[in-house]
Amino acid sequence: MSAFLAAGPNLGRGGIGAWLAGLSPAGKAGVLAIEVVVMLVVWQLVVGVFGWINPVFLPPPTAIAQGFVELVSGGMLWPNMLISAQAWLIGFAIAAVIAIPVGLLMGSSLPMDRVVGPIAWTIYATPTIAYQPLAKAWFGFGIGPVIFLVAVSALFPILLNVAAGMRTTNASIIRAGKVYGASRTQLYRSVYLPSTVPFLFAGLRQAVVLATIGMVVAELAGSASGMGALIIKAANTYQTDQAFAAIAIVVAWSVGMTQVVTLVERWVAPWTRKGRR
Amino acid sequence: MTTTSIERNEAGAPLISVRDLSVSYDVARTGKRLTAIEGVDLDVHEGEFITVLGPSGCGKTTFMNVVAGLVKPTTGTVLVGGSPVTGPGPDRAVVFQDYALLPWRTVFDNVKFGLEMQKELKGAGWRERVQDAIELVGLAGFEQSYPRELSGGMQQRVGLARAVVAEPRILLMDEPLGAVDALTREVMRDEIEKLMAATGKTVLFITHSIEEAILLGDRIVVFKSHPGAIKEIIETGLERPRSERSIQHDPRFLELRDHLWDALQGEATAAAVSK
Repeated sequence: MSAFLAAGPNLGRGGIGAWLAGLSPAGKAGVLAIEVVVMLVVWQLVVGVFGWINPVFLPPPTAIAQGFVELVSGGMLWPNMLISAQAWLIGFAIAAVIAIPVGLLMGSSLPMDRVVGPIAWTIYATPTIAYQPLAKAWFGFGIGPVIFLVAVSALFPILLNVAAGMRTTNASIIRAGKVYGASRTQLYRSVYLPSTVPFLFAGLRQAVVLATIGMVVAELAGSASGMGALIIKAANTYQTDQAFAAIAIVVAWSVGMTQVVTLVERWVAPWTRKGRR
Repeated sequence: MTTTSIERNEAGAPLISVRDLSVSYDVARTGKRLTAIEGVDLDVHEGEFITVLGPSGCGKTTFMNVVAGLVKPTTGTVLVGGSPVTGPGPDRAVVFQDYALLPWRTVFDNVKFGLEMQKELKGAGWRERVQDAIELVGLAGFEQSYPRELSGGMQQRVGLARAVVAEPRILLMDEPLGAVDALTREVMRDEIEKLMAATGKTVLFITHSIEEAILLGDRIVVFKSHPGAIKEIIETGLERPRSERSIQHDPRFLELRDHLWDALQGEATAAAVSK
């Protein structure tokens, strides 16, 4: 979670910026925890205690917690969560398996880049929801259209980042590779691929967020199950507390998977970790 | 001022022999043909330390890249050990101005890079060779550090270790101290002087620092720009071992410095005007 508090350009020098930048990871997590608690308390006061906003539109945190308990005890949460997670993971895996090799090809071959590039950018630029009716026509009403939308959403950020990483490999390092006798294959394995790794993970992080959007969009628009379906069912029956609880779970999933990607990156690519002198 | 000929009166064939070398290329943006270097002749003998001095944009790096095998000559020939250069080879190693280390490799793995690419990791003793090279440049204890954790001077030491570990006959150094801070630069000049005197390697050292060129070079090859070409070749004739301090008040050093100042100032002004 401490990634949220990464130091930006500390233009002011000193003051609270310097204090934040100097915090230990535990300290940063502490600051974040305080921020969350303060936000929840203000929210609770505004809606729950003072009643400035109708809780049907914006339920207070305690009501959302209650909604969460209702979802669990009513047996609605686990089955829907499992279906969503399944669709998400399958769709994400399909995206990664296609996007990584195609991205590498695009990055290393100009003709490939010229042919695939415009297609990739066009599909990437299309709002995911536009594919939803088609997805239903192609894959029916089950988990199929959800997997499809997750895969389409996750595919292009991975593909385009990998291609960019390959293309922007430092020319000086390529020269060094040649000088020290790297063959073509060695050059790809020892220079191009490792220098693409940070781009791959940047793409994966973007893909996590977009895949989750794709999943919810697919489930909102006419799925019988899944977190999106749960949200729309609860909202349609004015059980906004349950709807918010379901949304919170989706957000937690998205943030959690982003953290998983970051952890895998630290393990696979330890050189990208910020070094302390 | 004594200016020597391109050949030195020494027995045996030169290790590097450059004849009538020119490099030119088309600039896509302007559609013009640019001549980087023209009519370069130079012989370098085994064990010589040659410094190549010139203003920026005079083609000295292009010249080095041709010897390294990274750039093909447009006309003329470059022989290393009697055979024409067709590409990079294990007889030549390069130290780059921007270090060009692999950020995903530790110091140890960066130093072993050359051996690895040349498939020399099979035999026994390569670990000791890598370790010796790391110790030679004073980086013992930093084997498992990543380049980003090191200062510029330390990164260039890794670059040096990577170059010497494969025991090339020729070391090509492209302004290796151009990007390190002034204090570190002075310390490292002395270290390079000692290191090369100890190993007896043939060195082609590109620089735009007059002091550096005198301190390190047996001969100084002065480049002029537009087009890049050799302006003169000067034998330094200073006793070795040398150090930054020992030569500061040497009359020969002062004489050389004044001469090179005049030579380069004209060049730098011409370069500034033509831009």
